[in-house]
Amino acid sequence: MNASLELSLAAAGIAALGALISLGLPERAVSKAVACIGAAAAAVAFAGGVVTLARGPSAELTLWSFPVLGTVAAGTTTLAAWFATIAALVYAPVSIFTLRYVDRYAGQYSLRAFGFWYCLLLSAVVAIFECRDVVSFFVTWEIVAIASSMLVAFEWRRFENARAAFVMLGMSEAGTMAALLAMLLTRGGSLSFDSPAATLNVAASWSVFLLSFAGFGVKAGLLPMNSWLPRAHPLAPGNVSALLSGVILNLGVYGIVLVNAQLAPIRFAGEGVVVMLVGAASALIGILYATIEDDLKALLAYSSIENIGIAIAAFGAAFVFIVERQPQFAAIGFAAGLYHVGNHSAYKALLFLGAATVDAKLGTRSMNALGGVIRVLPATSALFFIGVLSIAAIPPFNGFVSEWMTLQALLRADELTPLSLRVAFALCGAALALTAALAVTCFVKAFGMTFLGPERTPRTDAGEANISMRLAMGLLAAECVLLGLLPTYVLPALGHAAWPILGRDAVVGALVPPFFHPNAGPRPLPEDFVSSFHALGAQLGRWLPGRGLVVMLRGGQANPVVFAMSTTYLVAIVAATLGATYATLRLLSRKPSLRTRVWAGGLRRLRPEMTYTATGFSNPVRAIFDAVFRPARVENERETIHEHFRSAIRRKREDVFLADRLVNFPIAELARRIASVTARMHHGRLPSYVGYALGALIVALAVVTWQR
Amino acid sequence: MTSQIFRELETICPDIVWETEDRSVCARIPASHLRAAAIYLHEREWRLGTLVAREYDRSLEVRYCFYATLHDGWLQLLVAVDPAERTLPSIVSAVIAADWFEREIEDLFSIRFTQHPRLGDFVLHDDRWAENLGLMRPHLKPDEVKEQRREWTPKRVLEEEGSFVMPVGPIYSGDAESALFLLETVGEDVVRAVPRLFFKYRAIEKLAEGKTPADVLLLAERCNGTSAIGNGLAYCEAVERALGVNVPRRAIALRTFFAELERIRHHTTSIREICASTALTVAASQALWLEERLLRVSGELAGHRYFFGVLELGGLRRDFDTALLRSTTEQVASLLGRVEELGTALASSNSFLDRIEQIGIVSAEQAHTFELVGPFARASGVAADLRVLQPYAGYSDVVFDVPIEREGDGYARLRVLFAEMKESLRIMRALELPDGTVHASPVSGAGRALGWTEAPRGASVQWVEVDRAGAIVRYRLTPPSFRNWHGFHLATEDFAFQDFPIILATLDLSVAENDR
Amino acid sequence: MNNWFLRGVAAGVKTEFAPAGDVSESLSAGLPATTLQVSDDAAAALARLCPTRAIVAAGPVAEVDPDRCVLCMRCRGDASPVQWRHDVQVAHGEGSRARLGGRFARSLHVRIVDAGDCGSCLNELAQLAGPSYNLHRFGIFITPTPRQADVLLVVGPVTRQMREPLIAAYEAMPEPKRVVAVGACAASGGIFGPSLMCGAGAAEAVPVDLVVPGCPPSPYAVLAALREVCGQKQGRAT
Repeated sequence: MNASLELSLAAAGIAALGALISLGLPERAVSKAVACIGAAAAAVAFAGGVVTLARGPSAELTLWSFPVLGTVAAGTTTLAAWFATIAALVYAPVSIFTLRYVDRYAGQYSLRAFGFWYCLLLSAVVAIFECRDVVSFFVTWEIVAIASSMLVAFEWRRFENARAAFVMLGMSEAGTMAALLAMLLTRGGSLSFDSPAATLNVAASWSVFLLSFAGFGVKAGLLPMNSWLPRAHPLAPGNVSALLSGVILNLGVYGIVLVNAQLAPIRFAGEGVVVMLVGAASALIGILYATIEDDLKALLAYSSIENIGIAIAAFGAAFVFIVERQPQFAAIGFAAGLYHVGNHSAYKALLFLGAATVDAKLGTRSMNALGGVIRVLPATSALFFIGVLSIAAIPPFNGFVSEWMTLQALLRADELTPLSLRVAFALCGAALALTAALAVTCFVKAFGMTFLGPERTPRTDAGEANISMRLAMGLLAAECVLLGLLPTYVLPALGHAAWPILGRDAVVGALVPPFFHPNAGPRPLPEDFVSSFHALGAQLGRWLPGRGLVVMLRGGQANPVVFAMSTTYLVAIVAATLGATYATLRLLSRKPSLRTRVWAGGLRRLRPEMTYTATGFSNPVRAIFDAVFRPARVENERETIHEHFRSAIRRKREDVFLADRLVNFPIAELARRIASVTARMHHGRLPSYVGYALGALIVALAVVTWQR
Repeated sequence: MTSQIFRELETICPDIVWETEDRSVCARIPASHLRAAAIYLHEREWRLGTLVAREYDRSLEVRYCFYATLHDGWLQLLVAVDPAERTLPSIVSAVIAADWFEREIEDLFSIRFTQHPRLGDFVLHDDRWAENLGLMRPHLKPDEVKEQRREWTPKRVLEEEGSFVMPVGPIYSGDAESALFLLETVGEDVVRAVPRLFFKYRAIEKLAEGKTPADVLLLAERCNGTSAIGNGLAYCEAVERALGVNVPRRAIALRTFFAELERIRHHTTSIREICASTALTVAASQALWLEERLLRVSGELAGHRYFFGVLELGGLRRDFDTALLRSTTEQVASLLGRVEELGTALASSNSFLDRIEQIGIVSAEQAHTFELVGPFARASGVAADLRVLQPYAGYSDVVFDVPIEREGDGYARLRVLFAEMKESLRIMRALELPDGTVHASPVSGAGRALGWTEAPRGASVQWVEVDRAGAIVRYRLTPPSFRNWHGFHLATEDFAFQDFPIILATLDLSVAENDR
Repeated sequence: MNNWFLRGVAAGVKTEFAPAGDVSESLSAGLPATTLQVSDDAAAALARLCPTRAIVAAGPVAEVDPDRCVLCMRCRGDASPVQWRHDVQVAHGEGSRARLGGRFARSLHVRIVDAGDCGSCLNELAQLAGPSYNLHRFGIFITPTPRQADVLLVVGPVTRQMREPLIAAYEAMPEPKRVVAVGACAASGGIFGPSLMCGAGAAEAVPVDLVVPGCPPSPYAVLAALREVCGQKQGRAT
């Protein structure tokens, strides 16, 4: 029995109170109130989540009873607690960031409204992880959807903001309906999550899977349901974008895992393969679109699609392993997916806050117009750089750890026997490898074009960002570093998080063998398991600090090799080597180094228009994957004076997002056609309408009689 | 010239005043009728040879020199310009070939051509020199020529999101001449490439003023050292025409011999550059060796590998033994046989052909409209060769073909080079080398005349004015590369960046010739 | 289909020994030998003949400056007292700074900068990479960037518009670096300079270590100069 539920509910309560308060406060004070209350609520929620992860779930609390809808129950589970912890870790810095960031909206838009929706969203997000029955879950879900749409539409006077929020809300509602239907199908008698699941035949099982995957997939931003994401994220206010990517997308992932791993665990390997393939496809398409983007925030939005896709692919692998009765590898998959979700929240929020700072200070998000920002915003650049290294999966940051584990989970395909599964795993692995390479390209472009190089437009005097904004980004950067350097402390927590799925026997903990400290760990491990690590020098465990600081996993019977990685030791060795090299060179070398101009072929100086633009940098990727992008050449005009002096060549390309092109627009077109056909029935003649009613009545009677 | 043309020009410009100058027909017309006259000549397929701006103490005139595709001789339109106002109507809307001439005259003489859309920043770069410097004006004081540092931005034509200008040069590559190229691109293909030349501007025309004709011959030879005979011979002919010098027959024949020998060596150089640009190293090395052998044959024969000091006003500086010339011809023939073997090998080399076919295409219509010259134009189907159109030196006495290709791409230009070398050898073999002296009797006097040759790169048209004291007062030098660089942008629209050096090599343009 | 490898091998070795003494006119047009003792009138007459003041009369002595000679050949002739030299060791420089020595004797990188050259000097430099001269056997390479160059090789009289790029190229080279001026134009301005648009050679823009006169100099002369710069020993035919 622990206080985790109380803490979490208290956090939700504080945030709800904050929402009410901000309606009443004067405009000037709203940002301070929001920052304080948001940070406080997030801190409390963090505490609640950590307690749950450490001590286990609390007992359930029945709040209200309704006649038809059943009871409304609240309770914590370790799985939900992990998501809640991540949400809190993102929400706290974003709240601190909000302190000075919303100043730019003062006078134009209502800050009270912002505060209200912001705190309401926080309250709902914290609360949703405590919902243990369908009704409360979906009520809270709707509040989240509405609040996030309102925040996206905050600058409502701009048409594209309003439209983006509308699309987001619309697609979210469609997804909610599908997810609701899926959840209802899984429930037998009562609507509570802890009641036993209904028995489902094959068709019903697939229906539940597809409905929940598609429905929650809208929220998570998976192909082909994610058209709303690239529209909404760039247009939302900067801190809201960070929340959308760092918190809201995770809700979709949580929903998928909740339904398919906990409420009605999947029974067919095919379902897991679908999850994996959709995840891998989302990842690849997402990063492709990110690479060719020139708007910094749109680039980050597409990159979110990529990262969620990677996490989903890991979950898909885990699902397959569960079905194939290999829980130890399923554990790796789940750990990888959950870890990646957490990492993504941290570094994506950091990157979005950095982009928001750049936007606020320099007035533009287009990378073709930026450049050389490192000279203007050095601290922001450094923190953004940490985010870039994390997202590009560079060791020793957190992105590396979760990508390593995801690929390891996919490599365990040699433990599977069916050939089709191995082929599917191989395809996904190849897609994720390509994705990782493209991610490096994409973020080299994002950082290099924005922060490095010459200033493409002359700068007005913009100073460095406010201390609160830098503090917020610094917190997130610290999270990235710590999540990367200390995976061996995170993984046991993830093991606890996987309890609702795999049961308490999950051997995630074995990824961090506690035998380094033979007395650490809840239970001793089998002797032969321990001895297989002696070849790696595991005996050193007695003198090495911490829980070993090495992540290890051992392959199964097909491939009984040990795979190990340690970001902590990597950092130590690399730092030592670089330091020693630097010191040696400084001591030995006497030659001075010369600072001189860039060699520009003899030109006096290299003008900004003579250096690569963001578009130019990624054009090779665009050319190679042209079949995916299929840009429409909208304009290609060549103007001349006197027929021979070329005065202008005007060209324009327009990209339509793949999901729109292949799914949404055809569906919309189909709906329009159907509507135009059925519209012929609506001609206003009353006798025909009476005839329709009569016809419907006859059909209904016929059906009823035939049923008898 | 047919009387029809006389009559029709008189109808177009009632104020026309006919003059003859050294057996050349000149027509003095007012500036208001200039466009009409130029359009008339252009429609009748007269080609523009050169524009000469000439400023006297109290007057200023511009001379438009046209020559016909029929054996009609030259027609020069003289237009007087008010020295205070210094404006003339531009004819580029009708005769685009006049574009660079007008820009050059604007930079060097401060004459404004109205309705020319692109004046400025041509010979004298805007970031270094003040506007309206008028470098060639006769009363220019040295301290008026001042440098100043200004900001220069490249003129951008491509308007697309994310487009930028990639600069190549002025110092680039290993042994390339200094020139700046501005490649407008969005990152993949280059949409448009324009050159920014005249980094090597030595002001040869200004240097020539006041020098003796013999000294100016040195300048003409060294305008572009690899076509010393090509440009030097045009100068010699101009001065000889101006002063009425009778060049002996033997000298005429020998001059033709040297011109063709130079053409063979020059084309081997071009072939070597094309092979090197496609990184076909073996072929480039073999072409280099053949070029070196040709240079040695030249050096052995004339005492200088590039024929400096061979020409003299009125003939040649010294005589050459006929037997030696014949044996040299046979040496060249055997080397040419090796060159043709190389050509056959290149023609069967698919990877090489892939790289030079279908690149840098200039259509026949474009080559015709821009009045391009030399092998560059002949590869696009323009049958213009001054040795045939306006025969000079010994060319009216020999029979030879002028090879033409139609495709206008890199491979067509390569084929033209190989075919022209064969024709040059044919000329060398067919030349009669009569006995006699190679020096003319000295002549004094004053005069003005045009001189022209078909230099290895194309038509070289020059004009000199010699004063009574025997000094050159105006030297106008229009080498073929000046005409062909004008057409560079035609070959460089929408191409892959890797093809740029190959296009440059197949176009065979000289920066030194253009910049003078 | 063509096999270039076999063609190349079948062509055989074309590289020649680099000559140490005099060469024929096929390889070099030669240069006037220095200072002559002639009569006053003869010296004055020769000085009048020369268009670039390569021959200057000082009493009975006609001083010949090969750096200025543009090979107009007017002072040549059977009756002329001017001696003509045909060797390839025509490079000259100030002091011992000319040599790089050490590792550079085995590997030298050269950046060629065209500062207004007419094309003949550049063409001779292009021949150096060919089979006959084979620059690479001496460990000398032409590089496209000054950042990796040890020697800056200047041709042309340094036009006013190329002056700044030339200086930028010199400054972009790391130490140790040397400058070699090749050709009459780079040595003294030739017939183009000093004038309105041209300087009097490379020495006006960058510090020159070695000068190779000639118009254009023979490739063997340039080769000898480069070998001297990098500190290689040049003995009998190598």
